[in-house]
Amino acid sequence: MDSLNSSEPPVFADVLDAQRQLKGWARRTPLLENTILNEKLGFRLVVKPECLQRTGSFKFRGAFNKISRIPEDMRANGVVAFSSGNHAQGVAASATLMGMKSTIIMPKDAPKAKIENTRALGGTVVLFDRLTESREEIGERLQKEQGAILVKPYDEPLIIAGQGTIGLEIAEQSAEMDMKPDVVMVPAGGGGLVSGTALAISGTLACPVYSAEPATYDDHKRSLEAGSRQPVPDGAVSICDALLAPIPGELTFSLNSRLLAGGLSVSDDEALMAMKTAMLSLKIVVEPGGAVALASALTQKIDLQGKTVVVVCSGGNADPEMLARALSMPS
Amino acid sequence: MIDIDDIYKARDLLSGQVLRTPAIASPGLSKLTGADIYLKLENQQVTGSFKVRGSYVRMAALSDAERKAGVIAASAGNHAQGVGYHAEKLGIPATIYMPSNTPFTKVARTEALGAKVILEGETVAESRILAMQAAGDEGKVFIHPYDDPHVIAGQGTATLEFLEDVPDFDAVIVPIGGGGLASGCCIAARAHNPDLEVVGAQADAYPSMHQAFKGQPPHGKGATIADGIAVKEPGELTTPILKEHMKDVAVVTEADIERAVQIMVDVQRLIVEGSGAVPLAVVLADPERFKGRKVGLMISGGNIDSRLLSSVLMRGLIRDGRLAKLRISLIDMPGALAAVAGIIGGKGGNIVDVMHQRMFRDVPVKEADVDIAIETLDADHVREIMEALESEGFGTRLLSDMR
Repeated sequence: MDSLNSSEPPVFADVLDAQRQLKGWARRTPLLENTILNEKLGFRLVVKPECLQRTGSFKFRGAFNKISRIPEDMRANGVVAFSSGNHAQGVAASATLMGMKSTIIMPKDAPKAKIENTRALGGTVVLFDRLTESREEIGERLQKEQGAILVKPYDEPLIIAGQGTIGLEIAEQSAEMDMKPDVVMVPAGGGGLVSGTALAISGTLACPVYSAEPATYDDHKRSLEAGSRQPVPDGAVSICDALLAPIPGELTFSLNSRLLAGGLSVSDDEALMAMKTAMLSLKIVVEPGGAVALASALTQKIDLQGKTVVVVCSGGNADPEMLARALSMPS
Repeated sequence: MIDIDDIYKARDLLSGQVLRTPAIASPGLSKLTGADIYLKLENQQVTGSFKVRGSYVRMAALSDAERKAGVIAASAGNHAQGVGYHAEKLGIPATIYMPSNTPFTKVARTEALGAKVILEGETVAESRILAMQAAGDEGKVFIHPYDDPHVIAGQGTATLEFLEDVPDFDAVIVPIGGGGLASGCCIAARAHNPDLEVVGAQADAYPSMHQAFKGQPPHGKGATIADGIAVKEPGELTTPILKEHMKDVAVVTEADIERAVQIMVDVQRLIVEGSGAVPLAVVLADPERFKGRKVGLMISGGNIDSRLLSSVLMRGLIRDGRLAKLRISLIDMPGALAAVAGIIGGKGGNIVDVMHQRMFRDVPVKEADVDIAIETLDADHVREIMEALESEGFGTRLLSDMR
């Protein structure tokens, strides 16, 4: 990719390029499995735990792939991003590593822990009132006044390519383990993670890739079925706070409509039960949105018997209350 | 005499039988402690703990006749899982003795692996005596959890892998129960680098090896969150090995261990059982000792009960002032409770539970106590809410623990 601000969908080579860019910066998260759980399920379940990634989610990959390419002479003005959660932390951490300022526009009522984590990672947090202020206006003003570069959460080629490095790692690690995945399942909000991963898998394992979503935010599933981008209905709610994008991204959907085998969806309770399994059987902490692909596999939304399934657990930034709620679910 | 060659042999034997678990750097814990922290994830091991290493090596050494006769072990926890798992794979009949009060889930988990469970004895130590007797009577081999050269060599492979992945540690911290994991760790570490410090870690409820180092008689009692290392008597085989290789055994409190489990969840996003969190507790309790050094923590297991984990998490919220319980005195007249709720809400506290104390408390009939549970941001926020209530004339007392 020549341009920092290209609006063309990325290609496989861009993901390879992102992997070179991230080497030594992003963590290569392991592949995990529990053989006793596998026997119980009747299929091989392998987890890619991005909760163990820097900042506790995959978001660091895309953010770093973009921010680290900003030329020296453009770095002085810093970057700006909107986010109430994982993207904020990925951007703040990446900018700090590159010696850049970052301004993150967060809603005033965002969880204090997330605001503080973002600050701890070096971000300057600007709070806005959801009711009376427009974050876009604040963002535009900051871009104009400071000359800061906007880092979007998903609909950007470099972001998609960065998230796609997860797919390359899955392919490499599968080869190291002498394993041949039949299916890959990936959570989808705006669709950056799943489109990048599907792009990487299309050039390596070439196995079916599914998106996974909360049932009330199943815009990818419905968009894939309709063949065009479908929005989430007004008033939808879900505990999967990381996946609440209102409609699939334009760039991401142009990839997903071509690369995905289909869309899966799970209820909030199924996500909570998957969080419990993640804690007790896989010994990792996964947030609700991070658990939807795992939940899709555990509840076998498609036939998986005898197969090898790789699921991406995309993040682990859940509050203790939510973890306790998951632990209280029936087994 | 066990040496590094035994551990190499054990590693060859274990290839394909257990996982080579990941070793990961932990920038989050490093930032928190000031040490350069790495973790060996034996919580990811088959059955959720390192125990499968030693149990396999021991059982692989059995003769055909011994395999046919079967094995016996005593454990309510990870050792039972380790023996049960491999016995089933190797086609060896396994009998596990557990104390009669063992929770059903632990019994079921071991039975699910194909082992026969016998509930006898008040404590694990008593069950062990009964199991050893039964082994003698029935002509079966007793699989000791730590006092066995095969077991020690098997457990040593965990450290061997850790040092292959991260060769330049200044110190490695390893939990000690009976001392099998720690003995293997010492032998592997010494062969790798004689200057590498190995620090043993125990819970103060069961400081048996610490006492052996000090020449004191062992004592240990009570409940501990680190039940995996609640061993009263230090091992006969393991104690001399540890005394030869280890300078000291660090001892940490229950509160230290509980906090370490919570921090593993909050910062590292990993589920670790109490005994597996003891090495981190050692660093948290004495950060100066490890500051600036490259330190490996042996995360020995991740088998923690869901209810216990849940209460650790909720108690963590309370300690951090994110959940608080206040007892507020109010005149028992209409509107008083609404006024209290208004003050709390106005300060940004979120009421999650209200308990009105009027009928059963020793307070004048015109007064009442109300206990209110609130979600808060931190300890300062709790204090702010309490001051606001006091200033409006409502006597307020904090009922929950807060740092």
